[in-house]
This record gives sequence, C-alpha cells and structure tokens, in this order.
Amino acid sequence: MISLTEELTLLAVEDDGRIAYTAGSPNFAMALVGACIVDLNKAGRVDADLQGLNVLSTEPTGLEAQDRVLEVIAAGPVQTTERWVLELQGDSPDLVRMTLAHLQRRGILHQAEKRFLWALRARRYPIDDGGKEQKEAKLRILAALLSEGLPTPDDSMLIGLAVAGGLLEAFMSKSEVARLAERIAEIGGLDLVVRGVESAIRADAEVRAHAIMLSIH
Amino acid sequence: MNVTHDNDHKTTTIHATGRLDFEAAGAFQKDLEASIAAAAAAGNAVLLDCATLDYVSSAGLRVFLVGARAAKAANVPFAVYALTAAVKEVFDVSGFGRIIDVLADRAGALEKVGRSA
Repeated sequence: MISLTEELTLLAVEDDGRIAYTAGSPNFAMALVGACIVDLNKAGRVDADLQGLNVLSTEPTGLEAQDRVLEVIAAGPVQTTERWVLELQGDSPDLVRMTLAHLQRRGILHQAEKRFLWALRARRYPIDDGGKEQKEAKLRILAALLSEGLPTPDDSMLIGLAVAGGLLEAFMSKSEVARLAERIAEIGGLDLVVRGVESAIRADAEVRAHAIMLSIH
Repeated sequence: MNVTHDNDHKTTTIHATGRLDFEAAGAFQKDLEASIAAAAAAGNAVLLDCATLDYVSSAGLRVFLVGARAAKAANVPFAVYALTAAVKEVFDVSGFGRIIDVLADRAGALEKVGRSA
C-alpha cells in the first residue's frame, strides 16, 4: 500500500527522472506536509478539527517522513493544521528526501546522477516499477475528474493536494486543467487537512506579497 | 458515539449521536455501508439525522463521503439533515455541501429523497 505522501512525491517525478520544478515551490512544500498529516490521520496518529490538530498516538508509523512530522507535532502545542503546515514547510526538502529514499527501498525508483556539460551533475530518480504506482496515481486522478461519480476520500485528497502543490500541470495540459476546473473544485480536497493546506498556501502568498510590497516602498 | 436506526416511509433513518472522530469512524462507516446495502435491497432511501451529532473530525468527515459514494453507486437516494452548528461549519469549510444533499430538517430531507411524511 502506497502512502499519500509517496503518491504526491511520485507525481513530482517527470518521465526522465527529473524532479518537476514545481516541487521546489512553497506550495508543493506545504502540500507535502499536508500529505504527511493525512497519512498520520489515516494511521490514527492524529485527528484534525477546525480548532486544531490533535495527537492520538506517538507510536511511529515506520514511515520516516511521516514520523518526523509526528514527532514535531507531538512536541508542540495544539494548533491548527494551517499553522503546522506553515511551520513545517521548511522541512519539506528533508521530507522529500526521506520519501524518495523510502520509494527506492521499495524498488519503485532509483537514484541516478547524470553529468552534463562534462562537469555539472544532476540527480535524477528514474522510475523502476514500469511506472505502475505513478501511472496509477495519475489514472486515479483522471478517472475521478472525468467521471460523474463521487470520488473516494483518498482520491479527493490526492486531487486536492496535487492541485495545491501545482502538480496537475505535470501530466495534464493547462487547457485540460482549465476545462475541468469546476469538477476539480467540486471533488478535490474534501477534507479538513487539505483545506488547512489551502489556507496555509493563501496565508503564505499574502505574506510574500506583503514582503514584496514593503521592498518596493 | 451512538447510532440508532428506524424504517418508515420506505426510508431508513440513521440517527447519529455524540462525537464522530477517528475512534468512532471505523464502526460508523461499517454501519453506514451496511445500512445503505440493506436499503438498496429494500428499495429504501437513506437519511442521516445529525441533530444530536455534536462533533465531526477529519477522520469522521470521510465517512460521510464513503456513505454518499456507496449510496450513489447503489442508486439509493441519500441525504443528511439537521446539522448542528459545529458540524455545519465543518461541512461548509470542507465543501461537503457541494456533493451531499444537506437539508435543514426531516421534512425537507424526505422531500429531497422523494418520500413524503
């Protein structure tokens, strides 16, 4: 069984093994933290409501990235998902590294270094399992968006976090995403944690916009 | 969390009371799915009475989606009614009102699922 965090990370791996440039964005960082929290929620370690994220158990899940997030949340005060996502977004590079390492251990991808211009090296993560897990995640998203039925909770959360993290455009054309915008808004992210991620992204964008305005004046 | 059922007007009504959190979600999901399967066999609609449901967490909320999805797949008319203020706020924030029929009271819910009191 693949975790939501792993699925979201796989969506950021391009066909040639490069990590999509969107994975370096704050939005992806926050979506990834949200995916870890959803995985912890599904595993019964935390539960979210509008007042805050409550720790139910500190027992490790065995998933390094999720356990890192659990450790930090358990050591902190009870606060909203939005607040935790904002605070933990800086940990995203570590969370991605841990998740990629877990995917390597599972034989889903491997790490390769490619040289270009004779000297510069770029790290890539070619997919090893014939792309099964990655294709399945993409197909689930497309099937949910193109059908008229209701999504499963997992599909709704994956869509919501993929949208939040800017990953839909990695495998769908912009016009296709625009055409499905109404359906995406209807069935994506029907979940309090995903809504917390969306709030965090809005709050973060406001802070950045404010900082830009201050720097202009 | 406490759950009771009644059947009348070709309608199965599930009365949910208390807190729907991670601890309660698994059992409630099983109950809801079984009720929908039984309603499908009997040609009943399913209503979820939330008048005494005080709390819904993220884990609990997913059960509503599982239920609505099961009802749609089984062609069972399904609606939720009498949300408390706290639960309504969770529905509003999460966007569930866009995919599930949420009515103010039982009469409205019965009308929505094509049954009359």
